[in-house]
Amino acid sequence: MIIPVRCFTCGKVIGGAFEDFVKRVDLGESPRDVLDSLHLDRYCCRRMLLTHANLIDEVAPY
Amino acid sequence: MKIDILEMTPTRAKFVISDTNPAFANALRRTIVADVPKMAIDNVEFHLGPIMDEKNQTFESVSPMFDETVAHRLGLIPIPTDLSAFNLRAKCTCGGEGCPSCTIMYSLNKKGPCTVYSGDLEPIGDAKFRIKDDLIPVVKLAEDQALLIYATAELGTGKQHAKWQGALGTGYRYFAKIEIEHSKCDLGGSCVKVCPKGVLAKEDRKIVVKHPERCNLCNSCVEVCDAGVIRVAGDPTKILFKFETDGALQAKEVLVRGLKILEERFENLREQISSLEE
Repeated sequence: MIIPVRCFTCGKVIGGAFEDFVKRVDLGESPRDVLDSLHLDRYCCRRMLLTHANLIDEVAPY
Repeated sequence: MKIDILEMTPTRAKFVISDTNPAFANALRRTIVADVPKMAIDNVEFHLGPIMDEKNQTFESVSPMFDETVAHRLGLIPIPTDLSAFNLRAKCTCGGEGCPSCTIMYSLNKKGPCTVYSGDLEPIGDAKFRIKDDLIPVVKLAEDQALLIYATAELGTGKQHAKWQGALGTGYRYFAKIEIEHSKCDLGGSCVKVCPKGVLAKEDRKIVVKHPERCNLCNSCVEVCDAGVIRVAGDPTKILFKFETDGALQAKEVLVRGLKILEERFENLREQISSLEE
């Protein structure tokens, strides 16, 4: 659906980092470096961005 | 008991508590997680029915997500909190009705197509309560959809709901006690290489413990050492404690408040015990 506001496991706010993350990865940066620079150190927060499927645009028309 | 700060930024704290025990560290952890109050949105009123804009265009008050989900997402957004200025709503002088000293009101008015961000929440009244983390997507609106919302934030504790949790990633571990028998050490240096955290270093023909605070007691150096001269053990009287905040409160505020709550609780216990003796 849409990126969760917080990390499911630890509760860190990760929603704000998602659009920046996607933009930078599309420009060719390595996801690892982007996550490091966004200060997402724990693997629970990292997986939130890495494994997210943004389906809201497909749901929106209904 | 002594606290040495290793790192203290607005959102991150790391410190060593010495002359203590794991029970105290755990009490502090639980207090910080469950009892330090914080503001969070708790009540959301949605405008239902058609919404008109200035050009008389009508929008439907729906979004791709259920209103409950939108309200839940709003609740998770960190709200800047001033602990000295607010009371718990139930204990406020207004008697729980909601007044400027226990609640913050926000309004949100967006018309699609657009993405609604946390920064679109407008505080009613003081602009210092504007949300700092303003790029969190809340919901996406399609053509002819609009959202008109009044949200109320109030104080709560992590015990009630995780959205009121003052700190996150709260944890502690034993500080490492690393002993090296220099007389038997053959200076192979494999322990320096194998350490994933860079704790050990070779200096002046001697293996030295350079960063004991980084050691996570993995014992790799003990296993790799042929001469068997390294001993690594956790020290239960010295504890490395760390936590983060989501930006609603400063890390220092959380720590000071947590210790104060703990102190009050022990004081309470002491009074009750002394009344038993009489």
